[in-house]
Amino acid sequence: MAILKSQTDDMQADRGRRSFIWKVGAGMSAVAAATVPGYAKTLFSSDKKTNIDDLAKQITILENEKIINVLHKQYEELLDKGRYSEIPAMFTDNAEVVFNGGLFKGTSGIKRLFCNCFASGMTGRKINHAPGIDFKPEQDRVEISPDQRSAKAIFTYSIQVGAPIDSDSTLVKMARLQGEGIRKWWEAGVYEVSYVKDIKGWKIERLEYKTFAKADYKPGQSYAKPISIPIFSKVFPAEPFGPDRLVKSV
Amino acid sequence: MNIPMHRFKYTKLTKDQIGKALKATEAGPKSKSDLSDVLKGKSIKIITQNGPVLEYKFDDKNRLTFSENGGKKIKAGYGALTLRQMIFFSHMMPEDQRGYNVYIDQDTNLVTVIEVGLSTGRTEPTLGGDPIVVDDREVQRQLYFGYVEVAGQEAPKELHHLTNRLEGKGLYWKQDTGHEVLELYASVANTNFVDLTRQADDLSYVAPSDYVRVNHHIFIHDKTECEFSGMFTSFVCDLFECTQAGVRLGFNEKDELEYYMFRGEGKVVGQLAFLEPFDEHGKSGMVYQAPGDPTIPGKWQRMTYRPARTFKYMTDEEVHEAALKNTIKFGGTEGAAPQMMAINNMPYSDILVGKKFILRYDNGGPVRHYEFPEKYKLRYMEEGENKWHEEPCRVYEGDDNLAWFAHMLTDSKPRASVKMAVDLTNGLTTCIHSHMGTKYYGNETTYRAIFGVCEMEGLEPPQYVRHEFTDELVGHAFSWSYSDQMTSMHLYTSPHSMSWTIFTANQTMGAQWCSPCIYVKLREGVYLFCQNEEACNGAQMIELINTKVTHDCGFGFSGGATGVNLGVVGALGRHIGCFNIREFYGPKKKKGV
Repeated sequence: MAILKSQTDDMQADRGRRSFIWKVGAGMSAVAAATVPGYAKTLFSSDKKTNIDDLAKQITILENEKIINVLHKQYEELLDKGRYSEIPAMFTDNAEVVFNGGLFKGTSGIKRLFCNCFASGMTGRKINHAPGIDFKPEQDRVEISPDQRSAKAIFTYSIQVGAPIDSDSTLVKMARLQGEGIRKWWEAGVYEVSYVKDIKGWKIERLEYKTFAKADYKPGQSYAKPISIPIFSKVFPAEPFGPDRLVKSV
Repeated sequence: MNIPMHRFKYTKLTKDQIGKALKATEAGPKSKSDLSDVLKGKSIKIITQNGPVLEYKFDDKNRLTFSENGGKKIKAGYGALTLRQMIFFSHMMPEDQRGYNVYIDQDTNLVTVIEVGLSTGRTEPTLGGDPIVVDDREVQRQLYFGYVEVAGQEAPKELHHLTNRLEGKGLYWKQDTGHEVLELYASVANTNFVDLTRQADDLSYVAPSDYVRVNHHIFIHDKTECEFSGMFTSFVCDLFECTQAGVRLGFNEKDELEYYMFRGEGKVVGQLAFLEPFDEHGKSGMVYQAPGDPTIPGKWQRMTYRPARTFKYMTDEEVHEAALKNTIKFGGTEGAAPQMMAINNMPYSDILVGKKFILRYDNGGPVRHYEFPEKYKLRYMEEGENKWHEEPCRVYEGDDNLAWFAHMLTDSKPRASVKMAVDLTNGLTTCIHSHMGTKYYGNETTYRAIFGVCEMEGLEPPQYVRHEFTDELVGHAFSWSYSDQMTSMHLYTSPHSMSWTIFTANQTMGAQWCSPCIYVKLREGVYLFCQNEEACNGAQMIELINTKVTHDCGFGFSGGATGVNLGVVGALGRHIGCFNIREFYGPKKKKGV
């Protein structure tokens, strides 16, 4: 009983400032409650109908949370494995991605970002946090809208970012031949993501890279120092792999 | 042959021409050494991983019947050689323009199969251009690892595999044909080779390769002379005894088919350090890695650098027109940011500021008067002129009291630059005179070294002593890090050539190419090294290498559609090792080609 009460209180608390935010931990506790016979009996004893509706809603929310988490994991995995061409299909037709001071819009913009810009720099491989760089990641969280047609999420990231070395020298060309010729660094921050659900399922409507730390770190290195990377200063087509619009970036 | 391979125009043989020529392979390969009858009367079934099942019946010493994947039975001529416990046999299927080279380890029943093919029509991405169809004459290869099926025995869990155990090793081989070759395995994906018999000049070339480990001292190797004749050579070697047994297949520069087996003996000429992590054993092959598409490519694919495919021909006039619009000297401005190839350069020096001298080069060479009013500016006047030319310059002190500087020749046509080492201690000087254009390309640079003296107040230059060409660097390898993002290993392969190798992310030695070069000795441990990326991108690098500080500094000179550029280059070095190969070079070694 005491356990159930405390869980309910937690849920109430979350209905305050962020009315439909569910932290993954709390959600999992609710599932446990619903599936443990003792708890269910207690729950049904007060107001059966309301509680069943609430519970059904909660379960749907949890299911959607799970789908969003899986979707994000898939996004990260495609990036990690360099399967850039498969990523645009995860976005809506009018989706937007904000990356490094540039906004990439619509199918063509998003393809340009992932299939050209990211692919040429092999950006997105998951790597550990750079040593010695002060960066406290936020907690991942997913919030499903009350009508369960949209969602917002925050996921932390720690990735390798790269840009092709701008040179026609033989050395760089040969390095490209073997998948190198890229200046690589580490970035960490959060993805702020908006999702929408249509008849085909959940898709990404907006994704913003909010970068909190950049360092000259590569896996295997025991040191790192913060670096400054120039943001986009030109848009497509002047910048062939550039954004559709320049935006203020974190 | 006295035409360098990278200049030779190999015939584009057609599939039909190749097919007709391959009919000769029906009889099997030739061999100077006696072929083995070890397989006569035997039948074997070879199961390969991700490859064919091959069933063989060896009718006699030269004839076999075989099938692929249970298909129709095909009769073919073959040849076999043994080396310790290894049996190597080779046969072709002329109708298909394919064949198999099979290496069997009798101790383990493990097998490496190298399928070869011509006229495959294979496409390959290039660097910046559309995909190309590989020349029909270029022998393609595909490796499979497997085993000989033995009734009642389970399939082995461990097969032969690719390896980095030969990486950095160099061998001299002399085959039963009398053919001598130096092979320097300074990459897991290429072989640097100097054909001491077939080529008049001691130039090294690069051939994409595979290295397979049989056991701790027996290895299988192949190389294909891509971008040249397309010739394929493969052998199994035993490094305990330094012996080899192999095959050569392809069309030579006369378009004659060569298909023969050979035995050879050799010696290890050295070992370079390899810099990858100690737990990296090189079991994964290197393949073309298109950004964003790291999947393993299809059959026959290999990582091949094909620079000439994207090097666009320009006339002398076209290049000069571009130069008139844009001739960049040292980045364009006095305070220009370090250029990509010069992040780790030596510092610029003011050693010449305020000095005046005359550089007088031998044998009717140029005589130039110099004044250095500022660190980044000089004035020069050719003997006989009455007007000073003012040019930006960059000056290093490459060794104690040894100036090394460069500048453009004002309004030169074709655009020319000069780089001078001036020894302010003994009055000796070397000039590397470069200009745009060769007889092959307007956008290819050329260079020559000229020797002379510096006439300056307080200096008494010698009458006879001069800087001179040297082979002291030959065999040595240095990694040169131009920046933390760009490192290349230079291997000084012969008195007239070198190769460069690009490290992969984990510092395995990977992509490789080569060029002619020259070396000049300035002082003990201090050299000029000058290479031109001939039939590649036409650019040249002219470096002063100071082995005492393992640092180099110098200049790059190039030109093309975007103009002409005289830039700076410099890198931090590491000595990677040395091959003991100088004994193989020099006029006295030439026995006629």
